[in-house]
Amino acid sequence: MDKPDDTKLIERCIKGDRQAFESLLLQYEKPVYNAAYRMLHSPEDARDVTQNVFLKVYQNFGSFDPSRRFFSWIYRITLNESINWIDKANRLTSLDHETADQGRGPGQQASADELSKGLEAALMTIKADYRAVIVLKHLMGCSYGEIGDILEIPEKKVKSRLFTARQLLKDELTRTGMH
Amino acid sequence: MAIEQKYVDLINADIDGEITAAEQADLQAFLADSVDGRELHAELMTLNGALDALEEQDPPPYLRHVIMSRIPTQQVKRQTDGFLYSMFMSPVLRYAGSFAAGALLMMSVIGSDRISDTAFDDVSGLVGTMTDPAALGPADDKIDITQNTVAGTISLRSAGSMLVLDFDLMASEKIDIIADYTDKTIWFNGFAQLESSGTSLSAETGRVSLSMEGKRRYAVFLHNEGGRETTVNLRFKVDGEVVHEASLNFTPSR
Repeated sequence: MDKPDDTKLIERCIKGDRQAFESLLLQYEKPVYNAAYRMLHSPEDARDVTQNVFLKVYQNFGSFDPSRRFFSWIYRITLNESINWIDKANRLTSLDHETADQGRGPGQQASADELSKGLEAALMTIKADYRAVIVLKHLMGCSYGEIGDILEIPEKKVKSRLFTARQLLKDELTRTGMH
Repeated sequence: MAIEQKYVDLINADIDGEITAAEQADLQAFLADSVDGRELHAELMTLNGALDALEEQDPPPYLRHVIMSRIPTQQVKRQTDGFLYSMFMSPVLRYAGSFAAGALLMMSVIGSDRISDTAFDDVSGLVGTMTDPAALGPADDKIDITQNTVAGTISLRSAGSMLVLDFDLMASEKIDIIADYTDKTIWFNGFAQLESSGTSLSAETGRVSLSMEGKRRYAVFLHNEGGRETTVNLRFKVDGEVVHEASLNFTPSR
């Protein structure tokens, strides 16, 4: 998933090259923002977390191991920042169930748009650890191995966490008549 | 009927495209005989399809600019990261090229003996020399702006009787910036920008008004006789409505 020229850009960043950093920012701004957005479900929070992520990346280039993949490193920082943000703001207590709780009679089929909104709301009902694997798998397109690398957990645990996350989402969508 | 965990795992692996040929054969044999298995497979396929179809969000257009404005400049011996530093230190060639081309840089700083405190409606014709930036110290005050319509950094720096407001902003639409200074003895002393156009400016006693859109980098020079303590109050207006307010302080203590 790293672009071929990431390594060169990172070497230049370590030497303090702002232009190289801007190139990395250009490349990773959108995925980082989207990962944060899916974790937090708030454009403002995603924006702030994205800022923090890139500042941390810049400040910690010295500790980056060039033998590892850059995207693993930046996504790990993104998810950790997002989870810290959730913990700090206690976001889980103020979940927006509005969409998910829209009553729907049995047999009524949700439209694609409703399903999408219901899914976004359902995502916010599951624990951040489960949400993280869903984000990595479905938004970032990571493989089991890459998710394990990013979250620093064994592949077996990635699978069980991902499957449980899906089951929880499915249950939530069923509960709200979206599935 | 409950599905054996092994097959739940295989169904998930299958829809993730992470299944071996042997596992695939095993799963197909199971699904052929299991209605529940086929149902779970279909449900998870639908769920995964919906997850994959979640729309990507675009970050705010100013976000990149804000992040870059917060990245400290490396190879800086002093803590100066303002416009003047960048203009006169290592990137000087970039700007020097702009000078030579005569198209990118409009520089209109005039000597303090050539102006009065009367209003300027048009400063584009002003000429003069730039005060040595080496005399400038680190920013005396700095604000970060992260509004939807305008974002970036404004810093206030000083050298003797000169105050420099260094604007590094991005505005998503036309925005008016009004800078009022509390000390009315301070007067406008010049303006420089890194683009040939895009920022208009007028000055009157105790106030400088700017109008800009897009990404802009410019500096406003003020003469502060005696280097007195002062505050610059900034208001940002879109269509006449104030969308943001901030202030910068100069305290002559350092």
